[in-house]
Amino acid sequence: MRYLLVVLVGLTLLPGSLGSATAQAATLTVYSGRTRELIEPLFAQFMKATGIQVRVRYGETAELAATILEEGQNSPADVYFAQDAGALGALAYAGRLRRLPDGVLQKVESRFQSSDGAWVGVSGRARVVVYNTRRLTARDLPASLQDFTHPRWRGRIGWAPTNGSFQAHVTALRLLWGNERTKQWLTAIKANGARAYRNNTAIVAAVGTGEVDVGFVNHYYLFGFIRERGQAFPARNYYFPGADAGNLVNAAGAGVVDSSRNQAAALQLVQYLLSEDAQRYFSNQTFEYPLVSGVPASPLLLPLSQIKTPKIDLNHLQALEQTLKLLREAGIL
Amino acid sequence: MATAVPGLGSLGRQAVERRPAAPPLVWVPALLVAGAALLPIAYLIVRAAGADEGIWLLLLSPRTFRLFINTVLLGAAVAATAILIAVPAAWLTVRTDLPGASAWRVLTVMPLVVPSYVGAFVLITVLGPTGILQAALERLWGVTRLLDIYGFFGAWFTLSLFTYPYVLLSVRAGLRGIDPAIEEASRALGQSGWTTFRRVTLPLLRPSIGAGALLVLLYVFSDFGAVSMMQFDSFTTAIYLQYQASFNRSYAAALSLVLVALTVLVVVLEGRQSRVRYHRIGSATARLPRRVHLGQWTRPALLFLAAIATVGVVMPVGVVTYWLVVGLRHGDSILVSLRPAINSITASVLSALLTVAAAMPVAVLSVRFRGRLSTAITRVSYAGYALPGIVVALSLVFFAARYVVPLYQTLALLVFGYMILFLPQALGPLRSALLQVSPAQEESARTLGRTAREVALTITVPLARSGVVAGAALVFLTTMKELPATLLLSPIGFDTLATRVWSAATEGFFSRAAVPALLLLLASSLSVGLLLSQERNRWRDE
Amino acid sequence: MSDAIRIRRLAKTYGGLLVLGGFDLTVRRGEILVLLGPSGCGKTTVLRLIAGLEVPDAGTIEVDGQAVSGPGVMVPPERRRVGMVFQEYALFPHLTVAQNIAYGLTRGTEDPSRVTELLEVVGLRGLEDRMAYELSGGQQQRVALARAMAREPLVVLLDEPFSNLDADLRQQLREEMREILQRTHTTAVFVTHDQEEALQIGDQVAVLNRGSVEQIGTPEEIYQQPRTRFIATFLGRADFLSATVTRDGLLTEIGRIAQRVPLAEGTAVDVLVRADDVALASGDGGTVISRLFKGMQNVYRVKLRSGRVVQSLQDHTVRYAIGSSVRVIVDPGHPLVCFPNGEAILAEMVPDPEPAR
Repeated sequence: MRYLLVVLVGLTLLPGSLGSATAQAATLTVYSGRTRELIEPLFAQFMKATGIQVRVRYGETAELAATILEEGQNSPADVYFAQDAGALGALAYAGRLRRLPDGVLQKVESRFQSSDGAWVGVSGRARVVVYNTRRLTARDLPASLQDFTHPRWRGRIGWAPTNGSFQAHVTALRLLWGNERTKQWLTAIKANGARAYRNNTAIVAAVGTGEVDVGFVNHYYLFGFIRERGQAFPARNYYFPGADAGNLVNAAGAGVVDSSRNQAAALQLVQYLLSEDAQRYFSNQTFEYPLVSGVPASPLLLPLSQIKTPKIDLNHLQALEQTLKLLREAGIL
Repeated sequence: MATAVPGLGSLGRQAVERRPAAPPLVWVPALLVAGAALLPIAYLIVRAAGADEGIWLLLLSPRTFRLFINTVLLGAAVAATAILIAVPAAWLTVRTDLPGASAWRVLTVMPLVVPSYVGAFVLITVLGPTGILQAALERLWGVTRLLDIYGFFGAWFTLSLFTYPYVLLSVRAGLRGIDPAIEEASRALGQSGWTTFRRVTLPLLRPSIGAGALLVLLYVFSDFGAVSMMQFDSFTTAIYLQYQASFNRSYAAALSLVLVALTVLVVVLEGRQSRVRYHRIGSATARLPRRVHLGQWTRPALLFLAAIATVGVVMPVGVVTYWLVVGLRHGDSILVSLRPAINSITASVLSALLTVAAAMPVAVLSVRFRGRLSTAITRVSYAGYALPGIVVALSLVFFAARYVVPLYQTLALLVFGYMILFLPQALGPLRSALLQVSPAQEESARTLGRTAREVALTITVPLARSGVVAGAALVFLTTMKELPATLLLSPIGFDTLATRVWSAATEGFFSRAAVPALLLLLASSLSVGLLLSQERNRWRDE
Repeated sequence: MSDAIRIRRLAKTYGGLLVLGGFDLTVRRGEILVLLGPSGCGKTTVLRLIAGLEVPDAGTIEVDGQAVSGPGVMVPPERRRVGMVFQEYALFPHLTVAQNIAYGLTRGTEDPSRVTELLEVVGLRGLEDRMAYELSGGQQQRVALARAMAREPLVVLLDEPFSNLDADLRQQLREEMREILQRTHTTAVFVTHDQEEALQIGDQVAVLNRGSVEQIGTPEEIYQQPRTRFIATFLGRADFLSATVTRDGLLTEIGRIAQRVPLAEGTAVDVLVRADDVALASGDGGTVISRLFKGMQNVYRVKLRSGRVVQSLQDHTVRYAIGSSVRVIVDPGHPLVCFPNGEAILAEMVPDPEPAR
């Protein structure tokens, strides 16, 4: 048994040591909360363009943030690439992201970056209402998020209260409406029989089958379903016509981890994500909004400029504690 | 005659009853394993200590209490259901003249290979309020909506369906271990077949049922995939929420410690069962049990098993295949990469080997050298299993990134993490197998001139082979499905089938998730095959 | 030449319960010593202590002149050169017959001829490649013996090896095993609770009671001259007659028994009479109350006037009806054992001018 163990230990160490042997200076480690399915081609292009090797750990955005925090200064991560501003904010708050140079920050509207320059948004995602086209037309949908408290939506709404993007939206509501009104809205939606799904994908799937008629989601999930099931997939996105609190544009973004020993290369990657190539990729492949001016959004989308968003500072979206408290008080979490 | 015996050492005098003290070969590795199992708890204590006062508000809130009750109720309901499915299924496939028994033996175990997140999704797709079944019913009779599957019902249904094989495997082994003479004696004493089952067989099976149900119960505690898909809030949901929403590791740690306390309580309660002697008493030759003739019960029995197999095996494979077909029809490109499959199998094989090797000294200690230390070590080894994977993963991130940097993000650390997570799955079958090895066999080997170590290697381990294989197969299967620890601890770029399924499915790319999902089911099924070929051999042996 | 086993002042307790205390025993080379006693008397514990499977609380054990257990000494079982045959055989179910037997042989130097030789000895040639569980109970028992003898141990210990076998097989194996052990000059310690087995197999029989040896001797000595009532009762059908010592014999309710006892006249003693010492004749003095048919023989139980019951062994052709009156005659043809008040005293036969019958 002892020999077996020795062999075992040897075996398990092998890939690790090989890995570190090839880990030259020109190798970047990225912790990506964005999935391989969507993002891998971008990294491949970057490697081809720069010759810098990129190794990516894919995972849940929040769990990777927790990992970087647990790793402390020994973190292998050079770049953190997150689904939403909240997780970036949490790392920035812990001092784990290095300030980005102004040249990088200037490429993106200030509303899509950290106020202290710790992270920058690379792609935009709009909060929308996804609806079942067999049951509803756009005209049936209300002018404001507020209106979903109406009894006619009873039992027809899907949402994902445990999901980061929803919680960021609630934070925005608090900033716009104040805590009291937000809480009233949350309570009313819950009372209206809203179903709590695990995440955006589950909501879109449920809207597709007609399990619920509408859902509060990020805009781009729909396009994955359409790609797979064809144009016949019976769901579409709805944007509120006015500058409604329902129209929030959040950002997926990236930052350079403070303990990174490859700051230069890390920065190069962040810059690459803001390059025209990468922005086009977001536009055409992931159906997100490019955040660098000059790159048009997918023609399938309502242009970013036409989304009438109330003024919100994404930097405040990390202030989740209050939001969670509110959700708990409303009996939702 | 309590005369002190000099030179025998303190261990000699501590020896309880007939058994000598454990040799260092047993207790040293057992202690190391227990130490490893304690790592997550140490981490949780470190983290929870850093929590602010708000933690008490959270811990003592009505919601936390409700989640606690939710978790306990769900666990109890699932464990009870698993027993209700598993005991008849085990009996039917082992003791009766059921047509196609060997095929049923495989099919009834198959739900085990379905990851609970996939299982839950499949159930929603098919049985959800507007799922495939509803669509079919709508066409036939205009049913526009089915009863709601979400919530407690869905979580209970999913977890029961995909975890009952833990009890099934354990009970099957138990049934084979019962000397048929005992049951025959009961029949001869004028008891009916049913009464014999209730008064003799069932009590003799109690340890097997208990061991299997414990695995199910603790699995439910740790599960996030199924409960979140089914929109049921459990304690684990709350722990994940702390990581995902508030990035508050201290709160998550404090909640996790509550889960640890609950686990300890459950393990202690389970351990209080009467100490049954397993190895045969008396006659060294046992016969095969007589096959029970089902007669008119054949049809209901087949119906029962077919229903389980349909929901637990046919449906998941069918739905995943359906995704694949739909995606292909819409021109989605599907790349079949074998790399994740190879990675999955490599990691799972190593995990199975290490976990069984680690469980062996603990099992030997707990079976052969009962005492306070051995009880404590056995119980501690359950800690990791009931914790959500993310917690164990972060604890290893914490320790490895700080203290053993060269090991961090190596396959070695990942496999070590699996070992902490799945130790009880190997421990259960090993213990049962060891309990059936008579101490006289080991003692006789000693008198034949072999040292304790040689005896362990040439007698104990080979005799416990069925337990070794069963434990290894269980760990292998569970590792194949594992997601949260794999995501955080694997070497960078080390994709497994489970991470591929997750990666595609979270973005809604179901057709892309289909290929790795099918490969996962296939590879896991092969392992079930191995598990069952072992079972068959044992059956002939007796 | 030293003794095969010497045990001195051995003590062992389990959980506060004294199992052995001040236990002494010597086994000579080449001898088969039977440890006989009721269950719970500590006989299995003695074997386990000799084998090194238990640690004694006090006392010493020497095997072949070497101390193996004692103050500061605890030789592990594998280095004692003591073979053991377990009650449940404890064959290794994952090994073949040949592998079971070869298990104890030094690795690398397993001599196939040694296995063959042993199989020959126990009469199992041709079964080398069977799995242990494929054998009958008796065959398993023989494999267990061959396995224990494979390493040419200094002593073989046998723990109730026949208790799981049926009566015929048991009888046959007893003879076989005794023959094998004698032929191979193997020293053996054999534990049993069956007195018949003990008398048949042992060169020496040690009767154990409550953790110590109550008597040790040849089977004949033990049977004919039991030192205590316990031993007398334990070995065979023992009845006692009250008697008074007289100058020319023992006076009992069935008449005078012509045996002299070196005790003062008038002393009250109990005389041990076994079924084979008691003859029956037509007459009165006793009433037949039951008959136990044992094939070749009948054992009658006869109630005397005093209410005492004695047993009488009769040829199967001799029949007495239940309830019939008989005369009871004690004429053993060997000295009887008397128990005045504790320790036994052997009577002395006096030539009787008028033998009863």
